[in-house]
Amino acid sequence: MGMIRSIETVTAQRVIAGKTISVSVVQRKQTPNKLSIAFNAVLGLLKGMWLTLTYFWSPEKVVTRMYPENRDTLQLTERFRGNLRFKFPNETAHKSHAALLEHITHETQTLPEVASEWIRDEDPTRWYHNCTGCSKCEEACPNASIRILTRQGEILEDREIDRFVWRLDSCMFCNACVLACPWDAIEMTGGFENAVYDRRLLVYCLNKLAGPRINLIQDEQDAAVRARMIDPRERFGGPIPMNGAGLPNLPPVALPAPPDVSTGAA
Amino acid sequence: MNTALINMAMQTTLAAIEPRTIAQRAAESAHENLWITAGYFLAAIVGVALLLSFLGMALIYIERKVAAAFQCRIGPNRVGPWGLLQTVADTLKLVFKEDFVPQMADRTLHMIAPFLALLVPVVLLALIPYSPALQVADLNIGILFITAIGGFGVMGILIAGWSSNNKWSMIGAMRAGAQIISYELSATLALLVVVLFSGTMSLTGIVQSQEDGWWIWRGHAAGLCAFIIYLVASTAELNRTPFDIPEGESELTAGFHTEYSGLRFAFFFLAEFINMFTVSALTATLFLGGWMPFHIGDWTSFNSAMDAIPPSIWFLGKVTAIIFVIMWFRWTFPRLRVDQLMHLEWKVLLPIGFANLFIAAIIVLANAYPYPVAGQ
Repeated sequence: MGMIRSIETVTAQRVIAGKTISVSVVQRKQTPNKLSIAFNAVLGLLKGMWLTLTYFWSPEKVVTRMYPENRDTLQLTERFRGNLRFKFPNETAHKSHAALLEHITHETQTLPEVASEWIRDEDPTRWYHNCTGCSKCEEACPNASIRILTRQGEILEDREIDRFVWRLDSCMFCNACVLACPWDAIEMTGGFENAVYDRRLLVYCLNKLAGPRINLIQDEQDAAVRARMIDPRERFGGPIPMNGAGLPNLPPVALPAPPDVSTGAA
Repeated sequence: MNTALINMAMQTTLAAIEPRTIAQRAAESAHENLWITAGYFLAAIVGVALLLSFLGMALIYIERKVAAAFQCRIGPNRVGPWGLLQTVADTLKLVFKEDFVPQMADRTLHMIAPFLALLVPVVLLALIPYSPALQVADLNIGILFITAIGGFGVMGILIAGWSSNNKWSMIGAMRAGAQIISYELSATLALLVVVLFSGTMSLTGIVQSQEDGWWIWRGHAAGLCAFIIYLVASTAELNRTPFDIPEGESELTAGFHTEYSGLRFAFFFLAEFINMFTVSALTATLFLGGWMPFHIGDWTSFNSAMDAIPPSIWFLGKVTAIIFVIMWFRWTFPRLRVDQLMHLEWKVLLPIGFANLFIAAIIVLANAYPYPVAGQ
């Protein structure tokens, strides 16, 4: 079936339209006799039954996760495609190959860890990012769930990311944005507990800082200049209508004051 | 009335000592007191109702759990301990659903069909010897009755498909008709082998003829062959996977019961599962010795240990094993095409069945059993 291997073909001379042409002929296989067909059929059935029986008596193969009960210990695999987030660039940059391998194969986090981590932690030094605002993810997104807003940089005089707006409500978690990113700036996490009462809360501003990539900031020696390169960005707010902004009959989502990043530590 | 009840209770206790069918007891008591006969009828009706509801619930729960285990899942586990009340919850849901009849459907037939489908396995339940003391009726034409009534089962499905006024229902019903009628031939040929071996058509007689060894291995290869043919053919008669083309979801939505909802749908479902129990019970009775314990030749201590297990437990164990095998088929094999189905019956099973019957006749004529049998 399928592919014809060259060993099954023979070269022969055929007279076609008055010319003798050498052609490649596929040898017909001899049909096996009915007894061997029947034997193979029964053997196949028995093999299948044996396979399902091994599934039947091995409870350790059960793949079901008892989710609400095992929430505290639920392990999410590396490849799980949950909420999108900005990657902290220095997370894996300085690790050796072996350590990196270890990191990849053993980074199965439990759900509470994921949930607490998905909006990066409180440490402002981990808020820097690799995003250049190139809009490749926006182009790759089949649902138009990503909107990139850029601004003119004050110090570097180049376009840089202002807001990375991700619409969870229309995202289908296809991972195309992560694959499209040339800078390895975003990743998908294991978070999936996204229920909210206000649908405006499903439109996120993913970046914590508006500003250039982390290495461009690190190249600058003067801390005061570094602090001028970046501006804090809250999770909600901004010019995108649903992103926490007020609607007719609805006040804007109440947000805490933006944190202070004036020290410019990177 | 009181004395009648006491009489009945005494007779019931006597029954444990003196094996008689419920029908015999009812007939005997008719000479003395009609109240006792009525009591037996009432007991039989209540018993059948309880058995039906229990069997339906238990089998559906087991099917779902077994399916889950075969597919590396857990299965129902939310309603009640280990999900035991899941079937109860589902039944309650079906009871409260709308009983829908399509606009152009034949109303009367549409209403009757589920009951016809359920009637057949219920009638067959009456013939099965559950233990020496528990059998509703022992007919001397038992096997003939089973094949006749079993063939009637296709009527419910055909009527359901016809009256629904839906092309899927119709095609599904026609497929079911063709399939059941075809496979009945092979099933009957396999039954005839056992009739030849035991020399009787009464089910109790067949069970008693297996006292020295079950027909599955006392009939040389013919017994085993008949057993396999009967298992395959009855799986096809049950419309279960791999022979479930009458309700093939991918092409026919749900086949003959597409237009059914609520309790009538539940009746089709119940009929399918009761049918599965009936077929397994018949297979156990005919080929695996019914309620007879497992004996090995002269191993007296082993045999007496086997005798210590009550006959009804033996029967239930055998039935459970066969039900498990049928479920195992369902969760392993892919569905056959219509032409493959017909090919399997008419070109494979039927010739083998005829040859098998012929060989069985030679074995019986030559009295060439592997070991001698008492009373033959």
